[in-house]
Amino acid sequence: MSTLTLLASGEDQFTPPGLELFDSPPIIAGVDWFTKPVLLALLSTLIVVVFCWSAFGNPKLVPRGVQNVGEMGYMFVRDQVARPFLGKDADRWMGLLLSIFFLVWIWNLMGVVPILQFPVASHIAFPIVLALTIYVLKVYLGIKHQGAIGYFKNMMFPPGLPKPIYVLLAPIEFLSNLIIAPFTHAVRLFANMFAGHIILAFFSLVGFWFLFEKLTPLGAPLGVVGVVMTIAMTGFEMFIQFLQAFLFAMLAAMYIGNSLHAEH
Amino acid sequence: MSEKKIRPEDDGRDFASAAWSIPSYLLSGMILYGGAGWLLSRWTGVVAFTPIGLILGVALAVYLVYRKYGR
Repeated sequence: MSTLTLLASGEDQFTPPGLELFDSPPIIAGVDWFTKPVLLALLSTLIVVVFCWSAFGNPKLVPRGVQNVGEMGYMFVRDQVARPFLGKDADRWMGLLLSIFFLVWIWNLMGVVPILQFPVASHIAFPIVLALTIYVLKVYLGIKHQGAIGYFKNMMFPPGLPKPIYVLLAPIEFLSNLIIAPFTHAVRLFANMFAGHIILAFFSLVGFWFLFEKLTPLGAPLGVVGVVMTIAMTGFEMFIQFLQAFLFAMLAAMYIGNSLHAEH
Repeated sequence: MSEKKIRPEDDGRDFASAAWSIPSYLLSGMILYGGAGWLLSRWTGVVAFTPIGLILGVALAVYLVYRKYGR
């Protein structure tokens, strides 16, 4: 995309890609909200639904094909995400956690799928909606299981501290649990995908610019470095995409777990 | 170190909770008391209140983390 804009503007100097990477015009003229990330988000939802349907819709005792892959994913989320934080409640929350993990992962993977090449979560609105959902669920579950007063008391007044110090520490607990934690939950995913997309775009533009656009004897090696880095960074980015999906689901499980049972 | 019984399944949960809560606590402490210090600076004109608030915030957050997870 950005190479096309560069060609059109007829610039002579290499210009690194910037925020224009994230501006996408409406796909249908007049429908302003329907842009590329929205389309990819809808597509991701469809992929997750179809995948889960074909994997778990008609389960066989001896899993084959899609069911096999689906069960591998299920086992991973159950053993690494749900059980460490939810213990015996893990199975009840698997539907939510599995959906979140798969959805965020597919969102992120959109960043390296050729032609699509846009990580949905690099628009912060998407992670905010997911994090907000978990946040509302967390507060609701906390009030339901610990009582309205009990929830805030357990959160803001951890036992075992000298009494006068609570005046100073309770506000920190409140701010940390109810504002900073959900905020960083969304921002962590957003920032990783945002930065990763810029890095990939930068190195592929270096390769394209110095090998095709302005091929010179001195510039060519730099172009080769750009191509090599693009390949290496794509691999690294795929690891980060998986890691961030895992962390997002893991933190969701942690928040839910802490609402079900007070810490300590 | 402590006499508190730790069940093996709780160990991982506690450790991960601590690891993910600590940055959030430190940030909260700095924003809260740094912010209060900044407001005091604005009202009184004494510039020193902002850094004092920031340091107090970090110190309180570290103390909180230590009491909650450190022992």
